[in-house]
Amino acid sequence: MKYALFLGCKIPSRLPAYEASTRAVLAHLGVTLVDLEFTCCGYPARNVSRDGFVVSAARNLALAERAGLDVLTPCTCCLGTLRHAQVLLDEDAPLRSRVAQALAADGLAWSGKAAVEHVLPLLARLIGTNKGATVPAAAVSVPRTGLRVAAQYGCHALRPANVARFDNPMAPTIFETLIRATGATPVDWPRRLDCCGDPLHEGNPPLAEHMTRAKIADALASGAEVLCTACPHCHLRFDAVQSGAPDPSLRTLLYTQLLGQAMGLPAKSLGL
Amino acid sequence: MTSGRGNSCDVAVIGAGMAGMAAALFAAERGLSCIQVGSGGGILFASGLLDLLGVHPVAEGRLWRSPYAALAALAREQPGHPLARVDPGAIRTAFESFVAALGEAGLAYAPLRGRNRSVLTALGTLKTTFGVPLSMVAGANLLEAPGGRQPCLLVDFRGLREFSARQIAATLGDRWPGLRCQRIDFPGFEAVPELYAAHLARALESGETRERTIALIQPLLGDAHAVGLPAVLGLGHSRAVHAAFEAGLGLPVFEIPTMPTSVPGLRLLGALERVMAARGVRRRHLSSVRALARNGNPGTMTLELDGVPGGERLSARAVVLATGRFSGRGLTADRGGVRESLLGLPVQQPASREAWHQRDFLDPSGHAINRAGLRIDAAWRPLDASGQPAMPRLYAVGSILAGQDWMRAKCGSGLAIATAWAAMEQVADHLGGAGAG
Amino acid sequence: MSRTLFHMALYAALALGALGLLWRMAAWFRVRIGPDARAVTPAERVGALFRGAASALFSRRLLHVVAALFLDVLLQRRLYANDKLRWLGHLLMFFGFMLLLLLHALAPVVTVPLFPGYESTLAPWLFLRNLCGAMVLIGIALFLYGVWRRRTRFAPVRGPMAAAFIALLGFVLMTGFLLEADKIASPQAFHRMAQENGVTDPAELEPLRALWAAEYGVAFSDLRQPLTPELLEKGRAVHAEGCESCHARPQSAFVSYPIARALASVAGALDAARADVWLLYLHVFACFVGLATLPFTRFYHAVAAPVSLLVDAAAPKREFSAAARASRRALALDACVRCGLCDTDCSVAPLARHLGNPTLLPSHKLIATGALAGGSLLASGHEDDALRAAEGAFLCTDCGRCTSACPVGLDLEDLWEAGRGDLAAANLPAPAQWVRARTASAWAELLRQGQSAHVLSDPDAALAPLSADRNSFSRCVQCQTCTNVCPVVAHSTDPGCGVDLTPQKVMNLLRLGMRDFTLGSRMVWDCATCYQCQENCPEGIRVADIMVELRALAVHRLGAVRNWKAPS
Ligand SMILES: Cc1cc2nc3c(=O)[nH]c(=O)nc-3n(C[C@H](O)[C@H](O)[C@H](O)COP(=O)(O)OP(=O)(O)OC[C@H]3O[C@@H](n4cnc5c(N)ncnc54)[C@H](O)[C@@H]3O)c2cc1C
Ligand code: SF4
Ligand code: SF4
Ligand code: SF4
Ligand code: SF4
Repeated sequence: MKYALFLGCKIPSRLPAYEASTRAVLAHLGVTLVDLEFTCCGYPARNVSRDGFVVSAARNLALAERAGLDVLTPCTCCLGTLRHAQVLLDEDAPLRSRVAQALAADGLAWSGKAAVEHVLPLLARLIGTNKGATVPAAAVSVPRTGLRVAAQYGCHALRPANVARFDNPMAPTIFETLIRATGATPVDWPRRLDCCGDPLHEGNPPLAEHMTRAKIADALASGAEVLCTACPHCHLRFDAVQSGAPDPSLRTLLYTQLLGQAMGLPAKSLGL
Repeated sequence: MTSGRGNSCDVAVIGAGMAGMAAALFAAERGLSCIQVGSGGGILFASGLLDLLGVHPVAEGRLWRSPYAALAALAREQPGHPLARVDPGAIRTAFESFVAALGEAGLAYAPLRGRNRSVLTALGTLKTTFGVPLSMVAGANLLEAPGGRQPCLLVDFRGLREFSARQIAATLGDRWPGLRCQRIDFPGFEAVPELYAAHLARALESGETRERTIALIQPLLGDAHAVGLPAVLGLGHSRAVHAAFEAGLGLPVFEIPTMPTSVPGLRLLGALERVMAARGVRRRHLSSVRALARNGNPGTMTLELDGVPGGERLSARAVVLATGRFSGRGLTADRGGVRESLLGLPVQQPASREAWHQRDFLDPSGHAINRAGLRIDAAWRPLDASGQPAMPRLYAVGSILAGQDWMRAKCGSGLAIATAWAAMEQVADHLGGAGAG
Repeated sequence: MSRTLFHMALYAALALGALGLLWRMAAWFRVRIGPDARAVTPAERVGALFRGAASALFSRRLLHVVAALFLDVLLQRRLYANDKLRWLGHLLMFFGFMLLLLLHALAPVVTVPLFPGYESTLAPWLFLRNLCGAMVLIGIALFLYGVWRRRTRFAPVRGPMAAAFIALLGFVLMTGFLLEADKIASPQAFHRMAQENGVTDPAELEPLRALWAAEYGVAFSDLRQPLTPELLEKGRAVHAEGCESCHARPQSAFVSYPIARALASVAGALDAARADVWLLYLHVFACFVGLATLPFTRFYHAVAAPVSLLVDAAAPKREFSAAARASRRALALDACVRCGLCDTDCSVAPLARHLGNPTLLPSHKLIATGALAGGSLLASGHEDDALRAAEGAFLCTDCGRCTSACPVGLDLEDLWEAGRGDLAAANLPAPAQWVRARTASAWAELLRQGQSAHVLSDPDAALAPLSADRNSFSRCVQCQTCTNVCPVVAHSTDPGCGVDLTPQKVMNLLRLGMRDFTLGSRMVWDCATCYQCQENCPEGIRVADIMVELRALAVHRLGAVRNWKAPS
């Protein structure tokens, strides 16, 4: 199995542990990851230019297409943005031809062949979890028994569902199933599907902080020991808001790290 | 039955209103793999109260204490009504099963008895219904108490415009002398001029806000035997919030549904989605079926979906049409009359546009157009122009069916649940008989 | 060449170069980039430098500095990692040039004391000089090819100074080779040497001439005898006596010698024109010009870039004090060599091309950051440049790829953050901020006055097709579901930072044809794009998509009536 790994802008510079743990876990499961010369997924451009956003995204999709690979991303925002661009390209013919022109300047073309996938569903398939499974997956050698974990889904993995095509946006289960697969116990917390607040941290910091703190307090009150993430934006957001405090009260952990631990991979390879 | 991977399934349900949800649930309970297309439907507008049959005949506006007696009357007097086609015993089973599933998903209902209940509305009127959420049942108990209505405190929140305790007390006061009302500031939202119920519901899921609210109500209790609040006691975790209020106040606490769209509507939708997720129903949100075709006889059916890049094709052995009426977009009205939107199936309707409505818009007997819909055979299959089933494995359920006026008959959920149950019985029968492995 | 003239020119060039260098280096402590840099004085910055240097010198960091000197400065490890071709070119240029400088230009102070018996016309020096010169020339060629190969629509701003520097370097090398070739071929030079060595007797002179014509490349036009082996043998004997100690055969000058052969037919004419003299003047004075102008050509990077690399090695970035950071940023402006490697790797390069705005690209942004700090970007008449620079600065994703690509190891993300601070201080913050300066209705009023009010023109449709198409929102039944599920409205409990509208009200304004009243709305700008509204809307309205489109539209339409002026 082979994918083009799309790390996006945040992971390499701000959260290298996510790249390390993703690579470690996927290598362990026999997935080959290819690095292409990807650029920004286009998310920041959305506020300025719809075409600019789609061109940015389509360039990446076209690169993967040229390499004959599907795209795998550990970032839910990149997932949402790349898939959003696919939808727009699909439904808006004039846009499609404008984008084709821009891509042609680089000798690229988009036809929609390259699919975009997030790491979580791939892992769910690889470690063979069934919905509602209660036993650790076969790949797990050091089950994280007893660890109470709150799943942070991230907005753009879930919504809008027709674009994200990730899980039931109102009642997703994939993350909890994956947590159970490591032997840990998922906690049910009222704000699990809420926005982490990250998109507002530049425009309206106090409001963003209000949102983030509400989530952390909720997860703690629900008995979580660990807040498990699958998106660099959410992850960094929780860490940033808690970093002022003497010691962060709710530990954040990337899902790839949790799974890596459960598979007995060395901590260092997981960026821990 | 087919294992149900990827894009193929035993049953594809088109529509995610009450009828579509019920159909998908019953399909899953019968072990059929199911894909359900569509979002929301009318559920958001619902109050969480599950009507079975409250009014019959519609023209007389007669309210029934027992829905089953009403059903019997309906069967006698209006045998063409979809509800009249379902065995009452099956309706009972279907409701039990539906409510049990909601309970598993965290939305608890009071045990169903064989009778309709009276529930207080935000307007101060009483609504006749059948299934009552646990969080509202204390109100019904008070209203129906044989020894007269006991003192009760209604609390509302400054800024929550859709709910006024004072208005309810004013409307009901002369019939309920012990009814008092109080207004408080919602903790944490003191500076917000306009409140929205769902935001309060989410806030109350935090223990701290809950404690502060309870502490504000405590001193106001006086002689009250129960406390009524707008329906804001939690969203996904309403059961815990309601329990905490009852424990904190030491009295029965009940919610009064606010105007649609309300927290109970969101709760119901959320709970139904959790039901679908737990039963492995594969959902296709925010997309719609563009075309439906069949391959072979009876063969499989292909559904083409809109709203996903490159489109998506589903393959199903049976299809349930639960696309609702005009608001659900199952029916379309134009100059030529009313059509079924997806396949253009013939719709039983008034002969001319003039006959759609009564002269008086508020005429209690309703309008002919509200009874328009699909005609079906005994196996719940919609008929084509020649009076034959349009497709051998196409079924129709819910409000798209002809011969009913669910809004006036107060039978919306009943219609959805009962017809879904009955149709799914046929589906299982047909698919089982088709010798699937 | 006159010694006094030479020395006068040399000292003048040295003095000019040194003064220029001081002037430019003073900028490292003077130029202020970033709000935090405004809080520290130049004196504090100089102090921080000395403290930093001292603590690095007397700690284990010294090892890092030494390692950086070899790996980063001399061997260009970072360039190697990013562009092998240009690395090779740079290495050839650098080592070729440094060897020429040390062994040739500074021969009296370096080579002569180190190698007793050094003569520039002996082996291996003839060969080495040619080798070094050729290295530089090949290096230039490789480098230019490398630049060409990675060319993009927006080349880094290299400016005339970069071209002048390359031209001067080429000129020095070409005059050097020509001078050497001329000296090889010149009969006049031969006769002068013969005279100096006392070879005047024709019986000795003729065989020597024959030998030098046959084996040393001198282009005599008046050889009287055929070059017989006996004659050459005689010549060799004379040569062995007087010349051999200073002159090796020039064939090892593998560049100059072929040139000398090519010049053979005009050697006499060149002699007559005193080519050796003016070529020498040109060669030497070109070097002096290079020296004097060093601080003002791109050659200055040879000073600034190593300093930057060594400073980096001296202290980990995160430990920099505000004063040190301030100097570090100013230094970065000088240390950037405009290689453009950052631009190639930049995450938003495709967007830069799409928007036609090069200031999204790091090398351009660096210049804009400098221009902002220096004040020239805020001068009147440059409003458009300033606005574009702001657009570029705030579209950066902070991905850090520029920083890892930079062969000089500049901490570009720090520079970008500082630059954004400066932009904000100049009233050019991110759109999410400048829109806040007015209320939604004040913006709508401005639009009305600007007569650009609500028209569904084509560019609008491309930017915000949903909000331009009634069908996408006309079905809204104002049910409030979107507002009920909106976390931003839910968390707006503090009126100071809360939203003004709700998603449902935004949709209603669209339905009423009052789109202009939404553009500056807090709701539109504070929307977290969580998509709860869109997911839950019973009418399938793409509420969140519309919100985002309205922002893009606002950036353009409100931007047009914003009327930004540089703070005076
Ligand atoms: C205002 C209001 C108040 C209500 N109050 C009550 C109450 O008090 N008690 C009670 O019991 N019930 C109440 N209800 C709910 C009521 O029970 C149901 O709405 C009614 O039974 C109709 O349900 P339905 O599933 O047939 O249709 P709808 O709810 O209309 O659902 C139709 C579904 O089909 C989908 N659809 C249509 N076309 C396509 C297509 N081509 N492809 C995919 N999907 C498609 C739509 O998206 C929608 O999901 C209320 C409803 C409303 C609107
Ligand atoms: S940090 Fe900014 S300027 Fe640097 S490469 Fe990334 S997007 Fe480009
Ligand atoms: S910032 Fe660095 S990488 Fe960019 S042009 Fe300057 S020296 Fe090159
Ligand atoms: S949820 Fe949809 S229909 Fe309801 S108010 Fe919002 S946009 Fe309008
Ligand atoms: S997408 Fe924006 S408007 Fe919609 S619910 Fe989220 S924050 Fe609110």
